[in-house]
Amino acid sequence: MDRSSDLLLCIRDVYKIYVMGGQEVRALDGVSLDVHVGEFVAVMGPSGSGKSTLMNLIGCLDVPDSGSYLIDGAEVSTLDEYELARIRNKKIGFVFQGFNLIARTTALENVELPLMYGRQKNRTERATAALTRVGLGDRLDHKSSELSGGQQQRVAIARAIVSQPRLILADEPTGNISTLQSEEIMQIFQELNEDGVTIVMVTHEEDIARHCKRRVEMRDGQVVSDQPIENRLLAKDVLLELKKPRESKVSVLLPGA
Amino acid sequence: MAVIEYFRLAIRSLNSNKMRTALTMLGIIIGVAVTILVVAIGQGATKSVTDQINGLGTNLLMIRQGPREMRLTAASRNAPAQSQNTLTLLDSRTIAKQFPESILGVAPQVRGNVQVRLNGANATSTVLGSTPEYLVVNNFTMRAGRFFTNYEDQGNLKVCVVGNTVAENLTGKGETDLTGQILSVNKSNYTVIGMLAPKGTGTGGPDPDDVVMMPITPAMQRVLGVKNISGISIACTSPEMMPLAQQQITSLLRQRHHLHPPFPQNDDFQVMNQTDLLARSQSVTGTMTSLLTAVAIISLIVGGIGIMNIMLVSVTERTREVGIRKAIGATPRDILMQFLIEASIISVLGGIIGVVCGVLGTILLASIAGWSTMVSPTALGIALVVSASVGIFFGIYPARKAASMNPIQALRYE
Ligand SMILES: Nc1ncnc2c1ncn2[C@@H]1O[C@H](COP(=O)(O)OP(=O)(O)O)[C@@H](O)[C@H]1O
Ligand SMILES: [Mg+2]
Repeated sequence: MDRSSDLLLCIRDVYKIYVMGGQEVRALDGVSLDVHVGEFVAVMGPSGSGKSTLMNLIGCLDVPDSGSYLIDGAEVSTLDEYELARIRNKKIGFVFQGFNLIARTTALENVELPLMYGRQKNRTERATAALTRVGLGDRLDHKSSELSGGQQQRVAIARAIVSQPRLILADEPTGNISTLQSEEIMQIFQELNEDGVTIVMVTHEEDIARHCKRRVEMRDGQVVSDQPIENRLLAKDVLLELKKPRESKVSVLLPGA
Repeated sequence: MAVIEYFRLAIRSLNSNKMRTALTMLGIIIGVAVTILVVAIGQGATKSVTDQINGLGTNLLMIRQGPREMRLTAASRNAPAQSQNTLTLLDSRTIAKQFPESILGVAPQVRGNVQVRLNGANATSTVLGSTPEYLVVNNFTMRAGRFFTNYEDQGNLKVCVVGNTVAENLTGKGETDLTGQILSVNKSNYTVIGMLAPKGTGTGGPDPDDVVMMPITPAMQRVLGVKNISGISIACTSPEMMPLAQQQITSLLRQRHHLHPPFPQNDDFQVMNQTDLLARSQSVTGTMTSLLTAVAIISLIVGGIGIMNIMLVSVTERTREVGIRKAIGATPRDILMQFLIEASIISVLGGIIGVVCGVLGTILLASIAGWSTMVSPTALGIALVVSASVGIFFGIYPARKAASMNPIQALRYE
């Protein structure tokens, strides 16, 4: 199968070196990675191995010190701030570990923002649709302080998908929330991936990574392993499992059942 | 992104931080209100002085002591210092006799502060000595009784005519008629023979009704003990005759005072017409206006620095928000505009509220203190434009700071 035509991300020999107090930190130390359309990649590795730095680079929030990075065939290092902002707005949806919603602002307003910056029309309808898709159709006017961690993360996902980007980047999206809520989020990601959205996700949880299709392992700024995932978990099934014991308990308690 | 969207963003953000917004606005509100108030007072004062001078009539000349130039300038400081107290009653009488074709009436004047007393009540007032011509020359009328006569002047008789404010100060009642009563002026008794019709104040200047008038001879000899008069008012026969009268008086006085060229540097008197008086008052009010304007500008700048201060704090506080906005596609321009429009809304809204406060304050001041004020639409417009500019000017630095933030560092900011 010829896959060069649907090559979405092409990272070649990328370096990113920080100097902190006279000491060199090689956050990315010669990373090369290809991601094709429709992939679902888990980036794993210990803390400080350069995962977030790589995600920021892929997300066009940062440019490498050296090496080449093409997104959709465009060399990112040649783009100016405005073109980078445009790519972030149109092609990429970001989900962060800290939810990163704008404070004192409703879910709907948060989700409308990318459309606003992208000069899109029908914002309210599209934002409402995105929120409905992540199961928050009834929480449109809630401020972030009025939502649970899992709900806030779903608002962030709605914001990431509202401009229908081809790529979703998630940096430890399940880092701060419960197992059940994590599973719900993975279900949304799996559905999006089914629809053809490419997803690159950082996680340090083995259980979460098993929902993806490919696992990239990093250490000290380098990719140390890159393998397809066997025995993939489907969030739909896991959720069913998670809810089952309670249902069986209920059925036990029901007289005559 | 359309400008209306920036407005929506800015309003939303200002709305979610009402306290901060209100406090920032306060600086601008005070600045603009002070400006409006100060300009209204300045213009009101200018207008009342101008009205007063215009009210003098177009064929009035005034002769005053001293050189034409202001004594503050270096040139006149070197000039002979004995150029004071030179105008005499004889000067006035000579002028009155010499030029009947150009001059209608001549009223010499002498002024001084006095202590007045009536039935045990005390007050300070101004004594104004003149001749019967004063009524005609200065457009005065009587409310009760009569004005003094030449006979009373020549006889050095102890009579006086009283202004409304004096009567009110002494009796505690307005519209009092003191005719026939005995008024003590600097411990000497004078018979009140009439009341002056009120000229009214509303000027912010000296009260023209706070005056005790008497014939010039007793005023000079008995009350004030002076040998010179302080000025002469002259009514000309017609406006066309004024230049001639001015010239005739000038050469007569130069001759009488034995003055030598160069003129007008060596003149020890000034002959002024309405235009001269206007020019002179305008130079005074001009100085006052620039002083008040400086105060207003400083208060606006202080307000602007307040905006900058709060906006800088706000940018730091919202570092993470800026990071999020950039991550989802906001351009540096988007961020710049949001913060800049926030600052502009604060200053324009503050400006409008300030204008309202300033106008209300002006009205209040006019009604309570009785100052004459004048709110000009130009001043309102300028105050608004300046406050908006101040907001934009002082908003630019914080806005640029926000716009140029590195998105990753902004996102990592705690
Ligand atoms: N802005 C920065 N300045 C200095 N050092 C940085 C910066 N960003 C990341 N680093 C360093 O680069 C290394 C990789 O960081 P990061 O990509 O955040 O790791 P991970 O997400 O895998 O935990 C770390 O040692 C971190 O301290
Ligand atoms: Mg990280």
